[in-house]
Amino acid sequence: MLSFFLPLFLVFLMLGLPVVFGLLAAPAILLWLNGQERDIVLLYRNVYEGMNSFPLMAIPFFMLAGELMNRGGISARIVGFAQAMVGHFRGGLAQVNVVDSMLFAGISGSAVADVSALGSIIIPQMEKKGYPKPFAAAITAASAIIGPIIPPSGIMIIYAYVMGESVAALFLAGIVPGILIGVALMITIKLMADRYKLPEALPRATWGEAGQAAGAAFWPLMTPVLLMGGILSGVFTPTEAAAVAVGYSFFISLFVLKTLTFRDIPGVLTRAGITSSVVMLLVGAAMAFKTVAALAHTPELLAATLLGITENPLLLLLLVNLLLFIVGMFLDAGPAIIILGPILGPIFASMGVDPVHFAIVMVVNLTVGLLTPPMGLVLFATSAVSGLRVETIARAVLPFLAVEFLVILLITYVPAIALTLPRLAGFVD
Amino acid sequence: MTAFLAICNGLGLINGALLALGRWIGAVCLGLMVVVILAQVFFRYALNNALPWPEEASRFLMLWSTGLMAPTAFRRGGFVAIDMVIRLLPRAVATGLSVFLMAVTILALWIALGIGWSEVTGLGGRFETDSLRVPVSLDLSVWMKVPKAWMMASLLVGVALLLLVAVELALRNLYALIRGPAGLRNIPETVMLGSGAE
Repeated sequence: MLSFFLPLFLVFLMLGLPVVFGLLAAPAILLWLNGQERDIVLLYRNVYEGMNSFPLMAIPFFMLAGELMNRGGISARIVGFAQAMVGHFRGGLAQVNVVDSMLFAGISGSAVADVSALGSIIIPQMEKKGYPKPFAAAITAASAIIGPIIPPSGIMIIYAYVMGESVAALFLAGIVPGILIGVALMITIKLMADRYKLPEALPRATWGEAGQAAGAAFWPLMTPVLLMGGILSGVFTPTEAAAVAVGYSFFISLFVLKTLTFRDIPGVLTRAGITSSVVMLLVGAAMAFKTVAALAHTPELLAATLLGITENPLLLLLLVNLLLFIVGMFLDAGPAIIILGPILGPIFASMGVDPVHFAIVMVVNLTVGLLTPPMGLVLFATSAVSGLRVETIARAVLPFLAVEFLVILLITYVPAIALTLPRLAGFVD
Repeated sequence: MTAFLAICNGLGLINGALLALGRWIGAVCLGLMVVVILAQVFFRYALNNALPWPEEASRFLMLWSTGLMAPTAFRRGGFVAIDMVIRLLPRAVATGLSVFLMAVTILALWIALGIGWSEVTGLGGRFETDSLRVPVSLDLSVWMKVPKAWMMASLLVGVALLLLVAVELALRNLYALIRGPAGLRNIPETVMLGSGAE
């Protein structure tokens, strides 16, 4: 009986029940039908205990830092800097769109935040230059998913929290894969530009202009240096580093760039608080869902099924990538990691796959899943920013999605891509 | 029907006011969290004195800011859901379906409210927090340890507010199903995107 919690959850989800309620209602109903009313209390306790965590606090802090930077006009400076760097390539603004996402990824840990911050600036600019709007929206969405892959990353904090990995190791391991996705997207654009005659490039920036753009973006771009430097040198815990990032962005937007006023603060706190509360509640609900999954022996069943198909780690990794890709269509990355991480992680660890490597495969795959309908948070956000329908963007994003899936396979089968940096820093043998 | 509309809009006013207060306190909690953690770093490095309470205090604040602000996200449509099926259905069926989903939500929250109440008032709530104290006399000479119930109440209050919002949204849907949306007061800033970890 209890093993029906997954189908029931999916039915609720498809009918349109918010994820957070579905995660709780489906197991609760089955526990009740099963005569295990007392275990419903367990669900409630796990929601509370799931949220009551110090490491998770980094999520609201990174959200707040991003919000402060955004309100302080940082996004426009970053777009300007990216323009000075790659605007003169063919398909220039499309390239700019990718580069600014990579730069912004070092400040914000959320793809949805990147879309709202950058999309509102770059999509209208691209449209004015003659790019088809669906193309502009698609490249914004496809590049925004670099946000949680290059550190900081809300999704990695959740992974580290659930699986007991080191946040610093995951952050380091995400850098090269994130850059790789960016470069792959840029090559795709280059090929498309030659073939489809994308609009003319911008004139090449003079050294003076480039210097000015770099100067304007300098302080914001120091955020990742401060963050990673602080965490890696052991000066701060990741949560403390996130709080320091808030203090830093507060200080530079208010006093150095003078783009923020004290009057903006309540709005910034409120918006960051509301978005974080949704994530926190979702994490709590997913933790509760996970306990019921364990009661129903789902982890063992799934592990047995997977291992029943094949015991070849290379094939299993392919299967898991397909599984994650499908899961990513229906579930956002946070809950998917909380529910599946503890099931899949140990299987691969026992096969000799490095836990940090597996974490990155999972994080990157589920992040790319934010681009796939019906549950594609980045598609939703891009639709809100561009005014285009989700279906239109979903179609236009397909070529980029295909490229990203190839990169996932590359990351899966060449562990060095993810593991070299953490290895150099001594996190991985 | 006029009475029904009045109940919808009346509940909307109450929720609007309660949630505004919740957002205000939640925002202060979030700001304080930053201050508390920065103080922790400062005391450890600059004064070489690791404080015992910032970790627990900031968790306390985070739980309250979550409980007080999540209902606003819910009311504004920030709880992510798949709307593809609902959009494919004829309008009346779709509204009927959302009333059903709201009923599921209300039932779940009602049960959660009961559990939450017994958790907060029960044995677990009577334990003390590890490091949090508040003064109980005006001259600050007597301090008491903060009971865990004060922290656990954050989720209970959150569930209660979510329940109020769910009832309001269900009534609105029901009214819209019968009479159409005309006359219903708008909820400000709806369809804001949630789920930011991604």
